[in-house]
Amino acid sequence: MSEKTHDGHTELTDNELRVRALESLLTERGLVDADALNELIDTYETKIGPRNGFKVVARAWTDPEFKKRLLEDGNAALAEMGYEGRQGETMVVLENTPKIHNMVVCTLCSCYPWPVLGLPPAWYKSFPYRSRAVIDPRGVLKEFGVEIGDDVDIRVWDSTSETRFIVLPERPAGTEDMTEEELVEIVNRNSLIGTALVEAPSAIGDQS
Amino acid sequence: MNGVHDMGGMHGMGPIVLEENEPVFHAEWERRIFALSRAMGFQDRWNIDMARYARERIPPHIYMASSYYERFLLSLETLLVEGEYFTQEEIDERVAKLAKEEA
Amino acid sequence: MPLLTKEMVPGMLRQGDGFKVDIDIPPKFSVGDRIRARDINPEGHTRLPRYARGRQGVIDKDYGVFVFPDTMARGEGKNPQHLYSVRFMFSELWGPDARAGDSVYVDMWDDYMDPA
Repeated sequence: MSEKTHDGHTELTDNELRVRALESLLTERGLVDADALNELIDTYETKIGPRNGFKVVARAWTDPEFKKRLLEDGNAALAEMGYEGRQGETMVVLENTPKIHNMVVCTLCSCYPWPVLGLPPAWYKSFPYRSRAVIDPRGVLKEFGVEIGDDVDIRVWDSTSETRFIVLPERPAGTEDMTEEELVEIVNRNSLIGTALVEAPSAIGDQS
Repeated sequence: MNGVHDMGGMHGMGPIVLEENEPVFHAEWERRIFALSRAMGFQDRWNIDMARYARERIPPHIYMASSYYERFLLSLETLLVEGEYFTQEEIDERVAKLAKEEA
Repeated sequence: MPLLTKEMVPGMLRQGDGFKVDIDIPPKFSVGDRIRARDINPEGHTRLPRYARGRQGVIDKDYGVFVFPDTMARGEGKNPQHLYSVRFMFSELWGPDARAGDSVYVDMWDDYMDPA
């Protein structure tokens, strides 16, 4: 098999075959349970995804007390909403303001806040993002279509420990009348990593 | 270790490729290796740092040509061999056997 | 060596890995301290990226006591110590042409730093 994988690399080996070999050996030896494997896959495909993060953002935008708790102690506030656990043991929430833009990377690996955003997208795990986010965040953001003004400081957070970061994006102007439920629908995944902004609904229509 | 995985600040990796409506997994084998890695991690024969070191030791020319889940696969093989679950020969023999059945 | 069953999956995902250690160890640094990242080059696993080694930064936050990855990876125990968020300015990391005001925050353990 020499077809291209999703992030553009040529396959080195017959991945499918090698994975099946490992699974058959581990199953025979009683080291893995098929139902548990399927449950793990199903959890990350259907239960844990960026929608968890959208709900956190929408609540923070509409509930000042929750927002305060979220910024002071990410874990406790996220646990209130039922988001805790693996790859998110210590959660830190970073607030974007008109003067500060936060973005998150893992230069050494691909660490990512699984309980709140699910598994990371391919670009987050890619070498261009891992290498350049810490040295040229403005150039990286341009590739995402995001221009950060020269009056705004960028803070890049390299996830070198087990601490996991999410960005609290700015609430866009023109959404003052929207409810928490409506706001959930306008948040996007990349805005929680810091590689996108959140646009008001009319602006989303203009963009596409 | 001073490996290619430590890539913060490097140039020349190319543009960032964005995918619209990206699925969680792109192939069935990615689903399986993800789940196998998590399930075996649960057995506590290695910790996250050992698992990461196994990934960092992937030879640089292979690391740079591999995808995320290919590195899961390569490092799980290393961990299973070093954790004395299987020998590399046992794994390779099983791969050969399955390849033969497929042919 | 527990076998992971379907019923155990939700609990395992909720529980996490226990990197935080519940013991009282005095921190070597306080918020606001200027530090210099050690210029270490271990052949084993480390979480200190090369771009930060030898550079000066400021302690931004103390996360508490955590296991130390460098020893965990060698099977040499938890070696628990404080973990901090450390802010490195772009000018310190990337030279005088880098934009003043931009910065990188790196999570750093006690053993990765000396007072500057």
